[in-house]
Parts: sequence; C-alpha cells; structure tokens
Amino acid sequence: MRLLVVEDNNDLAQLLLKGLGAEGFAADVVTTAGEARAALATTRYAAVMLDLGLPDGDGLAVLRELRERKDATPVLVLTARGGVHDRVAGLRSGADDYLAKPFAFEELVARVQALLRRPGDLLGQLLRVGNVAFDTEARQAFVDDKPQFFSAREVAVLEILMRRSGRVVSKKLVEDHLFGLSADVGSNAVEVYIHRLRKQLADAGGKVQIHTIRGVGYLIAEDRER
Amino acid sequence: MIRFKSIISRIISLHVIAIGITSICMPLALYWLLSSTATDLQHRALRDHAETIARYLEAGPDGAWSLRLPAGLEELYSESYGRYAYAVLDGAGKTLFSSLADHAPIFPDDRRAPGPSFLETRRGDAVIYGASIPKQVGGRTVWIQVAQDLSHRDVLIDDIVADFFPRVGWIILPILLLLLAIDIAIFRRALRPVLKASDTAQTISPARTEVRLPTADIPREILPLVSAVNQALERLEHGFRTQREFTADAAHELRTPLTVLRARIDTLADQRVREALRQDIAGMSRIVSQLLDIAELESFVVDPAEQADLQSVCAEVASFMAPLALAQDKSIALTGAKGPVWIKGNPETLFQAIRNLAENAIHHTPAGTTVEIEVTEPGVARVLDDGPGVPESERQVIFRRFWRRDRRRSGNAGLGLSIVSRIVEAHAGSIAVENRAGGGAVFSVSFVPAR
Repeated sequence: MRLLVVEDNNDLAQLLLKGLGAEGFAADVVTTAGEARAALATTRYAAVMLDLGLPDGDGLAVLRELRERKDATPVLVLTARGGVHDRVAGLRSGADDYLAKPFAFEELVARVQALLRRPGDLLGQLLRVGNVAFDTEARQAFVDDKPQFFSAREVAVLEILMRRSGRVVSKKLVEDHLFGLSADVGSNAVEVYIHRLRKQLADAGGKVQIHTIRGVGYLIAEDRER
Repeated sequence: MIRFKSIISRIISLHVIAIGITSICMPLALYWLLSSTATDLQHRALRDHAETIARYLEAGPDGAWSLRLPAGLEELYSESYGRYAYAVLDGAGKTLFSSLADHAPIFPDDRRAPGPSFLETRRGDAVIYGASIPKQVGGRTVWIQVAQDLSHRDVLIDDIVADFFPRVGWIILPILLLLLAIDIAIFRRALRPVLKASDTAQTISPARTEVRLPTADIPREILPLVSAVNQALERLEHGFRTQREFTADAAHELRTPLTVLRARIDTLADQRVREALRQDIAGMSRIVSQLLDIAELESFVVDPAEQADLQSVCAEVASFMAPLALAQDKSIALTGAKGPVWIKGNPETLFQAIRNLAENAIHHTPAGTTVEIEVTEPGVARVLDDGPGVPESERQVIFRRFWRRDRRRSGNAGLGLSIVSRIVEAHAGSIAVENRAGGGAVFSVSFVPAR
C-alpha cells in the first residue's frame, strides 16, 4: 500500500512523509507536476495526495489527465485555495476529497483512511462517536461494546447520523433515507425516532448527544464533559 | 456655451444656424443679381432707343437739325402711349426735339456729360428712368435723352424684381429644410456602426472583460478611438487576471507555511503548549482566509443573469456553522421561509456573507443561547443573537475593515463584517444592524428578488 504525495513545499512534504510513516503508510514524495505524471505512469498507488499549486503547472491538470486515462486511484486534493469555487472545480475534475490548508494532521490521516476503504470491503466498518459504536456490516449499535437493540427505522436514523458524525444531516435527507423519495411522511415522524434514540442511548449510558438544529436537521456528537 | 450630448444634435443645431444664414443671404444675393441684370437690360434698351433716334437725326447743310421718325416710332414715343419719351439737345444745351408736349428736355438739369449717364427722376406722379447719351452726328455732338415711365403697365422688368421675395424667395426655406432632413438621415446611417459599438460597450463589466468593440464597420475617423478603448480593455482584463493570480499565489504562499507550522506543532510533546499554539494557528489561518477573501472580492462582480435561493444558502450556512456553535455550547437555527426565496446573486459569495454574519453572531451570543437565521420574502435574511447588541454609535463603523471593539484580543482582525458589506454592495443589496427589544443584535441583509 503505497501513497503518493505531490507537494512542492519540501518541509511540508517531509513532515507528511514522516507523519504518514508513523501511521504505517509508505509514501513517495514528488514536488512537481512533471514528476507526479512520471510517478503515476510507472507505479500503482493506493491513493494520491495532490497539492494544486505546483511550480510547473496546476495540479488539477494532473488529476484531469489521470481521470481521462480511466485511472480510478483515489485522490485527495490539498489546496491553499479554500474558496467554494475552487472546491467545486476540484471535485468536478475528479477529486475524491478535498482538504484546505492549513489542515490538522489527524484530519489528513482520517481522510486518507476513508479513501482507502473500498465500498466492497469484507470487513464491516465500525463507526464510533464517544462510547457509541455502529457496525455498518451487521447494522448493530453498541454502547461501551454492549449491543443495543433498536427498531429497523431507528437503526437507519442512527446509521445515517453516525456516518456523518460531527456534521449536520438535513431532516430531508433522513426522511428520504427512511421512506424513499415519494412516500408521504408525517411531519414529525423523524422527530419521534430521534426522541426514542436519544432516550435509549441515554438510558444505556451513551456519552453522545443528538442535537436538533432547528429548521435544518440533526447532528450527533460526543457529549463533552461540562 | 451649450454642450451637446450627441453628435446628431450638434450637427442638427449647427445645420439649423447655417440654414438660417443661408436663407437670408441667398435671396439677398439672388435679388441683387436679379436687379443688377434688370438694370443692365434697361440700360441696353435705352441705348438702343438713343441709337435708333440718332439714325433718323440729320443736320442740314445750313446747320439746321431735322428728325424724321417713321410713324411707328412716333407712335411709340407719343404722349398718348405714355411709356417712352425722348429729347435731343445740342451742344449748347438747347432742346432741338422732344416728344414731350411742352418741348422740354427730359431731365431738367443739364446732363451733357462726356459719356452716357443714367438716372431716375420724377415727372408729375410718374417715376421715370432715363439716359442721357452723347452722339456724334455730322461732326457735331448732340445729347439724346431717352426715358421710360417705370409705372407704365407694359414695363415688366421691375415687376419681376419686386415679385422675387413674395413669389420665389420663400421656396428656398423649404428646400433647405429638406436638405437638413436628408443630412440627418445620412448622418444617422453613417453613425450606425458607432452606435452598434456603443451597445457592445454597454455590456462590458468587470465580470465580462473579454468583450471587445467590433472594428469591422467603424468609420476610419472613429477607428482610433475604438482601438484605444479595446486596448484599455486589454489592460483592464490583464489587471483583473493579475489580481486573481496574485490572490491564488498569495493563498498558496501563506497557507503552505501555516500547514508546515501546524504539522511541526503536532509533533510537540507538551500538550498544553501544543493546544495553545494550535489556537494561534487557527486564528492566524482565519485572518489569512479573510484577507484573501477581501482580495478576491475586490474584483468580484455579480453576473446579472445569476440567481440564488437565499433559503438554501442560509440552510447551508446553518449546517456549516452548527458544529462550531455546538462546540461552544451554543446553537443555531433556521426560521422563516420553508421554500426557496429566489434572489439575483451569486450563491458562493452569498454563503460567505451569511456565514460571516453567523460567525459574528455565534461569537457574541452567550453560551446556552441560539443564533437564529431568518429568511423572509422578498429576499431578506436576518441573523439574530442574544449578545450585548451594537450601540448606536458603532452601527456605521462596524462594517469598516479592521474595526474591532476590543483591540487586545487576537485571532480576530475585524474583517468579517467588512466582507459582508462588500458582498452585499456587489449584489446591490442593503445591510442594517439594530438591537432587539430583549437584548441582542439583528443584522438584516436585503437583496434584489429575482423577477
């Protein structure tokens, strides 16, 4: 499992190399678009971390060429340009994910790990928030490793929240996920499931909070010590 | 001095002045020409008369003069016809012959000049015009005087002159006005490519700097101007491009070292120091982002065709800001319109504006309270917090760059609200801040509804 880091700043490249090594990844570092093309032509990488501002060209061009060759190697774009416009351009060019500088190293590792997980992985993915865990393969929730039993719809709600933990999941998305696009949904059906989930998780000693963002949706996060 | 806004109106007004002058001068000149021709003709006629009379004048061997006019001529000069008259004077001024009943000369004064002379005189009620012409007959000089009564019914020549103004002169004015109308049509036609170029020029905006004026049908005289405008556009476009490139380069040059710094800090052993330095990096990254936003917005112009759903923009902001609010034991909510609220604008920059307002509100609202984003028709978003509010005296200054109430705190350069203000301005919207009755501030931004 080899990673390619395309980064023109040598200090940053070396730090990434060291950090990734500590996490158990082997990585090659190149500093120009030309070197990146050469490396991608000769070696098969598990994932690529691509800086957009390269001295001899735009990293997006390298990405576009890669995709034109029908090469599906996961690409994480690292960029100094944080504008939404750049983000859209990056994803349209075929980036799998996007990380704006300056980023936290843990964040980078988490994103790389997410990219390396293939959809068809045999091992079920274990999602964790606080002391609550969710096995996506077995569709089983745990609090402190003790299995918890919910109705199928409650499980579905918990899963979609846990898959996007720390981010807001819109009420509309939850409804679509539960009932499909066409079904007529009672306006407070989702609220009822959320309410039950909250109660049962709290009763089981789960250190998580399901926050309601009024008018938008829900967010699950670790319950911080007050 | 009158200033004209259009070439056509300038041409028309100068043309009208020229027509005014021409319509006075031309009839006068024609009149002068006509009357001098008439006088000439009259002189020639009088000379002919004198010539004819001289032919029938004879000096006898005894020195006595005789004049035997044929009957036709006698009739012409008769007093009953009354049109012509003649008199013949000898060298001493004595009247030899006269057609007049009293045998008098035509001109009472002595008119024996060495050359022909012409003059007008009155005889009774009649105005008569005549000539006194010296002639050599039989070696002696006689003066033949011939005259014509101008008021006689058969005299036409001065009637023509007199009728010139009422009958002929007025036709000049309509002809000149017709000429004016034709000229205006010609100028309009000639200026059409210029008008077309002006229309193209109107579509030029900082968002569309690639537009160039067409030079194909432009008249040679105006071509240098059009070319100069196109060159200026070229430089303008280059300026905008340079600005955008600068922003991108600056972002790279500033953020990459911050990432390096951040990665080095992550390797520090002391967790307290590490956390403090991370906070510093976060603050600095925020300022860098805001400065880059400002630099980018400097050249930002809303595409007039672009539309945005303010409700979904605000929903995105609420989603985006919720984790940050929750991390501070605060919350955020979206209220108001349930469906789309369409406005003229660019969704990305609108997101930036509302996000900055929400950030500001989350920053000021106390823990345990909720920042509310309210969207209402037609295109109004309000961000409400439960913080200390904004004193009346600060309501103008808070939108200025680098304005901060508390200058001692770092990690906040006072750029957020100036970014909001710039984006709202670019959207031709308005921004206002008020205090809520129960405490807290309300920032309202209004945009132009789509359609």
